[in-house]
Amino acid sequence: MITIKLNGKDQTLPDASVVNDLFLILGAEGKNVAVVVNETIVRPENRSSHRLQDGDQVEILAFAGGG
Amino acid sequence: MDVYHLGPQAFSSRLILGTGKFSSASVMLEAVKASGAELVTVALRRFNREQAGDDLFGPLSAIKGITLMPNTSGASTAAEAVRAARIARELSGSPFIKVEIHPNPQHLMPDPIETYEASRILAKEGFLVMPYIAADPVLAKRLEDVGCASVMPLGSAIGSGQGLGTADMLGIIIRESGIPVIVDAGLRSPSEAAAAMEMGCAAVLVNSAVAAAGNPVEMAAAFAGAVIAGRKAFHAGLMPQSRTAVATSPLTGFLGTNA
Amino acid sequence: MKASPEWLTAGDRDSEALAAMLAPCSAEALELETLAAESRAITLRRFGRTMSLYAPLYLSNYCSSGCEYCGFASDRTTLRRRLEPDELDRELLAMKRLGISDVLLLTGERTGQAGFDYLQRSVERAARHMQRVTVETFPMSVAEYRALADCGCTGVTIYQETYDRGRYEAIHRWGPKKDFVQRLETPARALEGGMKTVGLGVLLGLAEPVADALSLYRHVRHLGRTWWRAGLSVSFPRIRPQTGGYQPPFPVGDRFLARMIFAFRIALPDVDLVLSTRESAAFRDGMAGLAITRMSIASRTTVGGYDEPDRAEPGQFDISDDRSAEAFCAALRARNIEPVFKNWEPAYNGPSGVSLQDDVVSEAHPCP
Ligand code: SF4
Repeated sequence: MITIKLNGKDQTLPDASVVNDLFLILGAEGKNVAVVVNETIVRPENRSSHRLQDGDQVEILAFAGGG
Repeated sequence: MDVYHLGPQAFSSRLILGTGKFSSASVMLEAVKASGAELVTVALRRFNREQAGDDLFGPLSAIKGITLMPNTSGASTAAEAVRAARIARELSGSPFIKVEIHPNPQHLMPDPIETYEASRILAKEGFLVMPYIAADPVLAKRLEDVGCASVMPLGSAIGSGQGLGTADMLGIIIRESGIPVIVDAGLRSPSEAAAAMEMGCAAVLVNSAVAAAGNPVEMAAAFAGAVIAGRKAFHAGLMPQSRTAVATSPLTGFLGTNA
Repeated sequence: MKASPEWLTAGDRDSEALAAMLAPCSAEALELETLAAESRAITLRRFGRTMSLYAPLYLSNYCSSGCEYCGFASDRTTLRRRLEPDELDRELLAMKRLGISDVLLLTGERTGQAGFDYLQRSVERAARHMQRVTVETFPMSVAEYRALADCGCTGVTIYQETYDRGRYEAIHRWGPKKDFVQRLETPARALEGGMKTVGLGVLLGLAEPVADALSLYRHVRHLGRTWWRAGLSVSFPRIRPQTGGYQPPFPVGDRFLARMIFAFRIALPDVDLVLSTRESAAFRDGMAGLAITRMSIASRTTVGGYDEPDRAEPGQFDISDDRSAEAFCAALRARNIEPVFKNWEPAYNGPSGVSLQDDVVSEAHPCP
């Protein structure tokens, strides 16, 4: 098991989890979101292969209302 | 056709709508449609399960002729704004970025120094940079110099509904600017939006005035009409104010009578 | 032939208000009074009761151009000379004795006798004596302007003479000045080279004055928007009698000239408006306080002329207001206007647009 920070909260995951696995947890499948792992943007084509490491800081972002 | 340009892109609607502070996403979407806006602002937020309906990208993009302009709200430094802008471009695919940096969450006044820095960097990276600034004519020229696509000076404090409190400074900015000037923040009523357009600004951006109106959808339509009227009036040219003569002891008595 | 730029040829909303003021209406006398009152109020608010003063010094009357209206055109038989360094020092000292510390150095078009090197050396000498040195000479390259700025020159006066391209090309019979667009782009080059101020103008009498006034206004606005740090000024020279007896085809009377000056003050509230000794004492005194904020004094239009004022030789044109510096200042003070010779310290005279670096405040560049 590894522990990462997902949108500021601790989240434990099985070893060898990839970015795409996080979408299930958040209910973000099929949504237009941006993924940032440790300050680096992970593009959609890399999300099924990008392995998460213990201690990673992950932000999953979307557009909300704003002026 | 009467259009204005932001970078290479032409827009015919001169009303830009913010999408925050609405009671629901569906009211917001109806208001966007009623406003006729072609450019709408959105903010970047952490995705969360409870408000999964908050992903506005899909529904907004589905409205015909809409371009998204993400903002950097939440950023309090240039570095944060630059980071937010890069992520936003990833998401929206739009080159527009509204640079909005306020270090103090109470009064939300834009930080001129951080805004300048972020704008300079983002313009170099090819963004169409739209900085939200205080109505400061020198700052506006400095931002034009570093390649911004427009400047967006505030009419009065954000969300204050105080109208065109900065009218004198806005007048100078509009007069001297070589890029479109968009009045952002502080407007409360359509008549104020019309007044801003009569002064010659390229467009206005409103959010609270629509979102917090009794009937947001109807108010969006009212702003749309006011912006069109104000633009027409500017284009037509206002009648000159009458000059009143002072009759006592003529100032030009030293001139001969030859033409 | 290079096309005229769009800012000049395209119509614009901005100049319509000016056009309205320049077109006299039926109640002409009343209306001129009204413009004068508004112009006076703006001038007083923005500039107070002051008049900044300068004096022209002709360095040389060699010229390679053939401007029909000018006493120094290369086909005139005028005796040609230039000030040598020791003469220049004597002239500058004589000017200082008259209280002058703001000098405008003039030459004709570039010649072997008075080219860039000569001008640069003269500027450098003048900057040792004067608070402010500006030039009205031949058009230069950006690099040349930068070199002059490094030597203490802070401003350039360059009149388009007329914006009517057809008239322009007809009157400028030969020489480098014949190139309309090259001249039009000169003020921008000067600003790019680090000049702090540029002065524009049309020579009234050469072409239809309303159209020229509107084009001049567009030029000022264009430069103001593009070079927003620049100090801009507008002059209103009318053709004066000179050797060669040129008769202006579009003579401009006092009332139109006054109208044009008031209209410029109202349309350009922040810009210095300049009136030289080409105009009569009565006209200058009348315009002081109503619109004009900068005037020349004690002018000579011959080469030199301050050190030995009695030397009679023909100048570029005849001056009209020939009062001494003292008499002129007294007339200003009588109108409750303070003559100002010095507006700032020469320490601030470095090239413009150079930002302070974090760690170095560099000394002004030494002159070569
Ligand atoms: S106006 Fe200037 S360029 Fe033309 S002839 Fe006279 S001195 Fe020479």
